[in-house]
Amino acid sequence: MSIFAAPLPVLPDVGDLRDRVRALVAATVPGNPAAHRANCWAVADEGFSRAAGAAGLIGMIWPERYGGHARAPLERYVVLEELLAAGAPVAAHWIADRQTGPLLLRHGTEEQKLKLLPAMARGELYACIGMSEPGAGSDLASVRTRAERTKDGWRVNGQKLWTSGAHRAHIMIALVRTDPESTRNAGLSQLLVTMDTPGITVRPVIDLTGAHDFNEVFFDDVLLPHDALIGKEGEGWKQVTAELSLERSGPERYLSSYALFVELMRWAGPEPDAAVAALIGRTAAELWTLRRMSWAVAAKLAGGEDPALEAAMVKDLGNSFEQALPPAVQALAEIDPAGAPELAAVLAQLLMVSPSFSLRGGTREILRGIIARGLGLR
Amino acid sequence: MSDNRDMVVDTAARLFAALGSDYATNIAEVEAAGLTDLLLPADDGGFGGDWGDAAAVLALAGAHAVALPLGEVMLARRLAAAGGLSLNGRLTIAGATQGRLTGDSFTGTLSQVPWGLEADAVLAEADGRLLRLAVADARAARAINPAGEPRDTLVFERAPATSASEAGLFAQGALLRVLQSAGALDAALKLSVDYVNGRQQFGRALAAFQAVQQLLSQFAVEVAAVRAAAAGACEAADAGDAAFEIGAAKLRTNIAIGVGTAAAHQVHGAIGFTQDYSLHPLTRRLWSWRSEFGNDAYWAVRLGHEITAQGADAFWPQVVARTDRLNRRAS
Ligand SMILES: Cc1cc2nc3c(=O)[nH]c(=O)nc-3n(C[C@H](O)[C@H](O)[C@H](O)COP(=O)(O)OP(=O)(O)OC[C@H]3O[C@@H](n4cnc5c(N)ncnc54)[C@H](O)[C@@H]3O)c2cc1C
Repeated sequence: MSIFAAPLPVLPDVGDLRDRVRALVAATVPGNPAAHRANCWAVADEGFSRAAGAAGLIGMIWPERYGGHARAPLERYVVLEELLAAGAPVAAHWIADRQTGPLLLRHGTEEQKLKLLPAMARGELYACIGMSEPGAGSDLASVRTRAERTKDGWRVNGQKLWTSGAHRAHIMIALVRTDPESTRNAGLSQLLVTMDTPGITVRPVIDLTGAHDFNEVFFDDVLLPHDALIGKEGEGWKQVTAELSLERSGPERYLSSYALFVELMRWAGPEPDAAVAALIGRTAAELWTLRRMSWAVAAKLAGGEDPALEAAMVKDLGNSFEQALPPAVQALAEIDPAGAPELAAVLAQLLMVSPSFSLRGGTREILRGIIARGLGLR
Repeated sequence: MSDNRDMVVDTAARLFAALGSDYATNIAEVEAAGLTDLLLPADDGGFGGDWGDAAAVLALAGAHAVALPLGEVMLARRLAAAGGLSLNGRLTIAGATQGRLTGDSFTGTLSQVPWGLEADAVLAEADGRLLRLAVADARAARAINPAGEPRDTLVFERAPATSASEAGLFAQGALLRVLQSAGALDAALKLSVDYVNGRQQFGRALAAFQAVQQLLSQFAVEVAAVRAAAAGACEAADAGDAAFEIGAAKLRTNIAIGVGTAAAHQVHGAIGFTQDYSLHPLTRRLWSWRSEFGNDAYWAVRLGHEITAQGADAFWPQVVARTDRLNRRAS
């Protein structure tokens, strides 16, 4: 926890990187409405992802021989925060860049890396996360999807649920049970699933806003090649835990509501009354603090450490901050949809989607359990 | 960071743990150890420390619930030296000032002056100037904050004042409270964790109950936020312009004090509500410090107006630029 008191890690000179990202977003998605800028890492635009790939903003820290750009991790962090602050529609490539690519780099075969990573870095190949199942939510260790080793490869049967972007993803990293005798977190492995393999069915699950983001994915005697095993057989739990640190630690855990803050400031004008000014001041103070905390975690990850406890803290605090803002705006701003359409639209969007912030990527209660363990309470 | 920070922190830790209850003895010991000269430049005979050094020492003072105006004296001596004002005698600073400076003469009221009656001179800001006033020239009255710490009122009528240009006394006072609070919150969290690990109910340690775990996790996250905010404000203060960062850090700290003190008392049950138990020296100070040098409304409205004056699209680039400036300095 003391990482938060440490001096700010020194950033390499990023030159005009921030300006380049801002210019790319302005040119590629001009006039992007605030409701689309909110929670933008759940908003997919394949055209934008290809443009980001062409600009060298995906796979930034991967080696060049895999299509990456061999940049410093904190340079990537700069790009992420700029994309999010600008509300860029990054969902299509987000998971590949954040966790699937790094996972393959670490555990994939040379052939898999050469085949998949360059297309990911171009913003053309997308990934989804196959962890949750109907019976395995917070209790992820109870996954039941089975993979059986046969002479032809891995035969997979079962079901994944809540799989974001499965309908556009080309690959999934699935957490499956490879040892039928095992229970809990032993006997689990990660498999690389190519989504067009016969026997896979993807069905939309429409969310409460009417949007199609997540899915259920059925595996019916799906045959995967032997080398679909990622990392080691039976080490799936360990690998997934490291993957979750990547999943939980990024700036998206506190910048999903940024569009609402911008529209609040715009609506407030230069001389708001004290109550509105106070909300803006308070939000700014919390955002500034979270940015610093998020940066500290990113720097640790960049140094090769796994700050799982600190990542859980930043995600928990970021989620609560982002969930408090919509009702606080609603409590203060009398909104006429005709008068301030941007504020009204982004507020409506975030009131509806923000409950998911403390569910996706690990619930508040699970994160606080991790923190409690770090405190020595369990 | 100064090279001698570890040594200073060691000295402070030993000293704070051994302090008794007599104010005059305690302040003399802290002065003798040089802690009140921590922020004074070496050229002026001080330690030449930066805000990071002050943070380390004041967090310890906060954690030990040290009942001394250590930060106040530190800051007063630095500001006096920088403004060419006399360092003679024991200095303190005013938490609030009302009044006017006319030529070399001040008429007005200084309030929330920490240990004002025990000081020889007080620094305050009025009319764009940093003033040094002799306590002997004031009608002085004792007042105390909820922690029992003196926050005195000094009334001056055409009192002689020496002065220098304004130097951000109030904001730096707020930074002192942030740094002390960081230490006190940390200590209250540790006390709470230890307590729930030791106390048994229903045949188990309280720590085994998920409701208790979740509450203390939330507290720990608030402590982490205060640490981050304090570190950020110190770096900005060392870089020069910390107007935004100190305000943000004080506001963030005030919020954390609400969450943290409530959680600490809740998990302690009745024992934490007793005079004998060591929680209240921390929590009563935290409640007091939350009001001092700007409460939530003060900083929130002030920051809010500064931000909206720049326009909605300026906020993000400015937050980024303010950090990049620190990075450039560091590299
Ligand atoms: C928008 C969105 C996108 C998602 N995308 C993906 C994805 O791409 N891939 C994927 O694999 N999953 C995804 N998920 C699933 C997500 O990881 C799960 O929702 C989450 O892990 C919680 O599981 P659950 O929904 O089954 O809730 P449950 O586990 O049933 O929990 C329900 C409630 O009970 C609480 N609870 C559960 N266990 C405990 C306990 N031991 N102590 C205290 N409280 C407890 C939880 O905190 C929660 O509040 C997504 C979810 C959302 C909302």
